[in-house]
Amino acid sequence: MNREVAWRLFASEYNDANLEAEGGGERPPSYIVTPLGARVNRVFVVGVITDVENVGTDGQPMWRARVSDPSGTFHVYAGQYQPEAAAALSKLKPPVFGAVVGKSRIYSPQPGTTYTSIRPETVKAVDESVRDFWILEACRSLRKRLDAMGEAQRMDPLTKEGLVKIGVKAAIADGIVQAVNHYGKVDLSRYTAMLAEGLRYLLPEYREPAGTGEAAPETPTTAKDERSTEPDETETKVLEVIATLDKDGKGAAWEGILEAATSKGVSKDALEESINALLDKGLIYEPILGRMKKI
Amino acid sequence: MREELAPHVHDITRALGNKVSEQEIERELSSYLNVYRVSLDTAKRSIVKKHGGNPATLAIGVNKTLRELLPGEQSVNLLVRIVSVNEKDVTVEGSTKRILYGILGDPSTTIPFTAWEPLPVPLAKGDVVRVQNAYTKEYRGQVQVNFGIRTAVGKAAADALPEFKPAAGQPYVGKPTPVRVVDLREGASNVAVTARILSVERREVEVDGAPKAVFSGVLADETGKSQFSAWKDFDLKGEEVVRIEGAYVKSWRGIPQISFDERATITRLKADLLPPAERLNVSPRMWIEDLADRGGGADVTVRGILIDLREGSGLVNRCPECRRVLRKGACRLHGEVKGEPDLRVKAVLDDGSGALTAVFDRELTEALLDKSLDACISAAKEAMSTDVVRDELADILVAQPIEARGNVTSDDYGLMMIVDSAKILKVDVQSEAREMLESLEGSA
Repeated sequence: MNREVAWRLFASEYNDANLEAEGGGERPPSYIVTPLGARVNRVFVVGVITDVENVGTDGQPMWRARVSDPSGTFHVYAGQYQPEAAAALSKLKPPVFGAVVGKSRIYSPQPGTTYTSIRPETVKAVDESVRDFWILEACRSLRKRLDAMGEAQRMDPLTKEGLVKIGVKAAIADGIVQAVNHYGKVDLSRYTAMLAEGLRYLLPEYREPAGTGEAAPETPTTAKDERSTEPDETETKVLEVIATLDKDGKGAAWEGILEAATSKGVSKDALEESINALLDKGLIYEPILGRMKKI
Repeated sequence: MREELAPHVHDITRALGNKVSEQEIERELSSYLNVYRVSLDTAKRSIVKKHGGNPATLAIGVNKTLRELLPGEQSVNLLVRIVSVNEKDVTVEGSTKRILYGILGDPSTTIPFTAWEPLPVPLAKGDVVRVQNAYTKEYRGQVQVNFGIRTAVGKAAADALPEFKPAAGQPYVGKPTPVRVVDLREGASNVAVTARILSVERREVEVDGAPKAVFSGVLADETGKSQFSAWKDFDLKGEEVVRIEGAYVKSWRGIPQISFDERATITRLKADLLPPAERLNVSPRMWIEDLADRGGGADVTVRGILIDLREGSGLVNRCPECRRVLRKGACRLHGEVKGEPDLRVKAVLDDGSGALTAVFDRELTEALLDKSLDACISAAKEAMSTDVVRDELADILVAQPIEARGNVTSDDYGLMMIVDSAKILKVDVQSEAREMLESLEGSA
């Protein structure tokens, strides 16, 4: 009996998942299958813990933490059954680089709506080099799945054996077949862009100059946090759009944001970039897939 | 051959209530043994099961030498000498029970044993005994013999077991199969390997009180390295390239290793047939998923992240007799003993493809902590808890990328690496990211 491997994968791929699968055996482990075919039971993520909050009661605390990576945000929940992780979370002072090992969770309050989260086993504050190494590993892992999924999409009929024949590991091939059966033909360009984004994040030559001049001097940047947490001009516009459209408190729908932003002269590309940046900076989050909400 | 099998054919037909003819059983048994080449024990059990019988009713175990034993045998017969025997009390399901444990020996090797039920005869060191229906288990990569409720033990004459005889297996039939070192798998026999001897040393082992020389070391080809044991003096020398025909593969402490004896032939080959020793002697970097497929490996290097410290890390107490780590002051085998303090780390090393348990000994742990065992003991005394040592280790190690080198063994609980050397991994993240980005943009 081998221990479940800890997947390194970006928040955006993880949060895109809405397929739950069961393994075999006496106490079958549960997996979340992502659109690229990662069969995730355990994850290892390193990112910026942007906030930690007790969403339970004082008597029965439930600590929620947001961990952001270059692609999006992981939601981490630790309650009474994760005493060590809960204690570690409660002591963290965000923002801080944090490593989380935990089990994948998927929650579906109603059909068509799913939330993914992490139930942590271990939480630890780390330094930036550990985070950077994690991004590199997550990129490698993503690259492998992109390549395998690319092959899978060209394969007709798609079989696990066919994938194994071209050198895909059996465990990965399984997940890919499940993913294709459930999600159909996913748009790989989106994930390729995510991979490139992740890699550029590590490279100083792609790093945008922080802030827009006026905000920069006031930003209390620590030595390690070189990126501004203040929104730039476009981001401020997008933030306003999201706040205005979020009438029922459930967040603003993507179509509406796109329409309103276009009318304000923000292109689709710039909008996507801004939304990513805002997610990164912890100024908005995605309560439901495709909806944005101001924090 | 047929004569030897006759009692077993009879045993099978009897276990099946004589429902199937002896000819039929004999034909099937011969097919299992000669065509499918499974062990006699497996063959017998499979045939009984296939015809709807209960394999537990088989009465005649298979005679084996200790060296032939594999983990998980259900019914073996042994003729062995008691090398040592001790008594102890254990608690089984709440009640105390006296069991025997010790070491059995025959001319092939020695193996630990445990007798879980009272025996009809007292056992003493030096006794030769005939054991029927014993079973085997694996513990820490080593085969152990167990005497259970179905096991019969009887004394035999002291000269029933030759005082000393070099290990003589059954002669091989047919031509040896050529195998690359990376493809060596537990249980393979009559294989041929072409390899360079990287190191060899003579060890004296004791078999039934008589000294016996074993020549063990490491050999390698382009695909990998393996430990070896030669049970005969072939005058092997470091650096030479040899072809070994008629070797077998047996796991020793959970790692498949190549063994050969007087049945093997050694041919010396030209020294430039394989790359030089320093090229072959590198520790190959491996993914954990591949190690899991292979069932472990000798002297491999793994890069991954220590994602968790396991229980029993830090300052521990060991049993003075068997070196097991004590839990709540008691040893699993020897009960309450005065423990000897030690330092170790048992951590989960995960490389994204799989996970293994990495064990760091005292020396490595002291280096990681930059603190001696004595300093840890006084720190724990001061804090009135050993947790301080564990917490400090967790602080240093958890989430840390490391490169670890050592032997990886495999058993029911997964993979375990006994770490020889380890270092915190420093990766040039930027240059690797740049390279991947370029290849990505190049292929787009």
